[in-house]
Formats: sequence, structure tokens, C-alpha cells
Amino acid sequence: MTVSTDPEATPDTVASGDDLTPTRGRRSWILVIAALLVGTLLGLGIGLVVPHLRTPGDNSVEAGFLRDMSTHHAQAVEMSMIVHEKSTDPEIVYLASDIALTQHGQIGYMQAWLRDWNLSPSSSRPPMAWMPDGAGAVVNGLMPGMATPAQLAALRQATGKDLDVQYLTLMRQHHLGGIHMAQEAVKLSHNKDVTWLAGTMVTAQQGEITLIDNLLKKLQAS
Amino acid sequence: MSTPGPERVPSTVKVDKTSGQGKPPASPAKAAGAKAKPGAAKGGTTKPGAAKGSGKGRKPITPVKVNGGRNWGPIMTIGAVALVALFIIGFGTISVIRGSRGWEQKVADIKGVVNYRAQKNPLIDARDHKDGTLTYVTSPPVGGAHNATPQNCNGDVYDAPIANEHAVHSLEHGAVWVTYKQGLAADQVAVLTKKVQGKDYTLMSPYAGLDKNVSVQVWGYQLKVDDVNDPRIDEFIKDTREVAALEPGVSCSGGNTTTGPVTAASTGTGMGN
Repeated sequence: MTVSTDPEATPDTVASGDDLTPTRGRRSWILVIAALLVGTLLGLGIGLVVPHLRTPGDNSVEAGFLRDMSTHHAQAVEMSMIVHEKSTDPEIVYLASDIALTQHGQIGYMQAWLRDWNLSPSSSRPPMAWMPDGAGAVVNGLMPGMATPAQLAALRQATGKDLDVQYLTLMRQHHLGGIHMAQEAVKLSHNKDVTWLAGTMVTAQQGEITLIDNLLKKLQAS
Repeated sequence: MSTPGPERVPSTVKVDKTSGQGKPPASPAKAAGAKAKPGAAKGGTTKPGAAKGSGKGRKPITPVKVNGGRNWGPIMTIGAVALVALFIIGFGTISVIRGSRGWEQKVADIKGVVNYRAQKNPLIDARDHKDGTLTYVTSPPVGGAHNATPQNCNGDVYDAPIANEHAVHSLEHGAVWVTYKQGLAADQVAVLTKKVQGKDYTLMSPYAGLDKNVSVQVWGYQLKVDDVNDPRIDEFIKDTREVAALEPGVSCSGGNTTTGPVTAASTGTGMGN
């Protein structure tokens, strides 16, 4: 308070106000400078800290979802690339390339956000730990919907209609697991980017399940 | 704010100037204001030179009483705020510095990790594609020329040795390759399997003639330990997985999925880059 009144008074009160003015003036200037310094330091400190408070942390729902969904997506890319190379059904080949490209692209989004937030793509926490009761859904390190090594090996061996049916069945299961995770992320996260991406995953993969069901029906009728 | 602003400017400028002109008035101010030295001179020697004249008489009396009594409050407050500010800055700076620490520093800080990237060995740094059997300077290899096809590294657990030539290509793609001494007890292998299975950008295989029970490597970094439960294994995987890739965004899919030595015609499914 004295800080604001005294500096204004310096030139005039020096003449009129008698007793303490010169010393009070000096004091006020010190106080003003000190206040400015403190203000600057505070501002710098807040500026340094706040951006880190605003991005999700290492154990956040967002980081957990982005890491786990990247791994989940990577397997969809894997299966789709196998089928894209080996299938002879143009509809299946297109679906496989669509899934592989989309999900690999989305992995790029998710990894870039982790990088932006200064977070590692790997966590020391087990998969699905960001979801309530999520860790229980992990079997042998595999998240819901993920194919087992044996199923992947069988897919690599399969050919013709058998390959297509196996792929569609595995991918249907994979999407169901992925949708469940994405829905949880939409529910639990307050990060606009994350809920947006997770929301589009839910919609797109639900649409693809309908497509997969139709393709399966067609294959089984043939 | 408008008044102190402009006034602050001339006052600071003046300090320099007064060193020439205003020395005589400045010295009595010093003498009078005992402890108030350059800071006080700034405020005190402002425009009114006359003020000094009038001030001279009173100074010896006033500063002692008034300064002591009245200004403790603000000084304490500012001091406290400054402490808090410094604390926040310290915290912020540390968190920023720690957060921005690169993965290379993190992995180098793990005890026992060998940093082959720092050695600038052209045989390890080589990234060209070559057919057939290749020789490597370390065992297991941590880099160097390799087969055009990577070993599939989407959390693949191989139960027999795999070709170095394929595995090194996986390292280039950012995979952590967990190797263990061939013949390691099944329960210990199971511990390692848990670290790999289902996790993209990792792969695991037994390795013939390994000098320790476990060797974990990414491109240019290697950690060898004897205990499968050594926490450094997890730390190594956490710090390097995927970020060790020499091409960001590159995939671990579409690689070779067979075990055994490299074959002449091992073109696999492509995706080699």
C-alpha cells in the first residue's frame, strides 16, 4: 500500500510533506523494485510450472489410453498387413488396407501427443491400469480383443476363404475390445484431443463391425 | 502505475549521470542513511536536488526510528513472497529439466548399460541392407548392416534362436530385443516372457553362447544381467522401447516370423527399410 502512494509523492511531497519523505521515498523505491522483481520471478515460475500442470501426467488416463491403444492398434495393423498381402478377395483386401492405414495413422497421433507431453511411449505400469478393473482384463499381456500368438500363427498359415474368415473373426473381436477401451477413455478423460480421437474410434470401428458382419455372411453363403 | 513508470526511468538513468554531477549531494545521503547505499541513492538523488538540502537536517533523526518500525511488515511480506516465488521457480525448473531429459540420458544412467552409439564404430553404425550371413562386433549385435527384412517385433516371443541379420533390422525399427542364455530354466524364461508378450516394439529369443543369463538391447545400447528379476531390465525397456527407433513411426509388423539362421532367399514380406 505504501508502495503505491509514495512514489507518486516523491517530487511534490519532498517539497511539501516534511518529516520522513526522503527516506520513505527511498524505501518505497526499494519496495517497488523488490515487488517488481518478485512479480517477475513469480510470473516466470508460474509460466514454467503451469504448462506442465495442464498436460496429462505419466500415470494419467490419457497417457495410459494412448500407450495401450497404440499397442492394440499395432496388432490390428499386423493382422491387416498379413491379409492385405495374402487375400484374393478385393473387398477383404480393401478393408485390410483401410484398417492398417487408419490405425497406423492413429498410432502416429497418439505417439505424437505422448511426445508433446514429454512422456515415454512405455509405462512401468501394467497394461490397462488406467481403466477401473482394467488390469484384470489382460490375459498373458494381451488386452481385450487381441489375438493370441497361436491365432496369429494360424492366420499366417491360412489361405483363401479360410484366411478371410479367420481375419474377419479376429478383427471383429479386436474391434470389440478396442471400442470398449475407447469408450472408457471418452468417459474418463477430460482432454479434448484424446476424447475426440477415442470418440472417432468408437464410431468408425462400430461401423466396421457392421461391414465385417456383412462380409462374413457373404463368405459363409458362398 | 503511470507515475512511477516514467519516473523510474529518469531515476535509474540519473544514477549514472550523478556519478559526475551529483557526487557532493550523494555522499551526505550515504552518510545519513547509514545502511541505505546505492538503492537509496537512486531514490534519494532523484530530481529535486533541493530536497537534499532540506533533508540533511532531519535525516540523522528520522531514519533510525521510522525505518525500523514501519517497514518490517512489507519487507517480511515481500521476503515471504520472494521465497515462495523462488521455491516455485526451483520446482518448475527442476521438473522441466528432468522432464526434458532425453531417453538417451535416461538409459545411459542405468548402471551397466553399454552405450555403443557413443563409440562411433562404423561397423555398428552401418545401416545398409546385405544378404546372407553377416558378422557383428558384439554378441548379441546392437547395430550394423542387416537383412532387408526385419524380424517381426510385435511382442513376438521366439522359442529358438533367430537370425542376427533380421533382429538387427528390428533394432533399427525401435524394438527392444530381449535375449537369454539358451537353456535358461523355464520359470526364468517365463518371467522374461511377461515383459515382452503382447507388447509392440519388443521381441525375445534365446541366444546361443550368451555370456550372461540375459542381454537386453536396442540399437546402440546393451544391458547384460544375470538375474531375470533385475529391475534394470524393466527400466531399460521403459526408457528405450520405440524411442530408440532410427525412423520414427516405423512399424514392427510384416517382418520375418521364423526362427533359425538367415536364409539366402529371406525376403520375408517386405516392409524393409
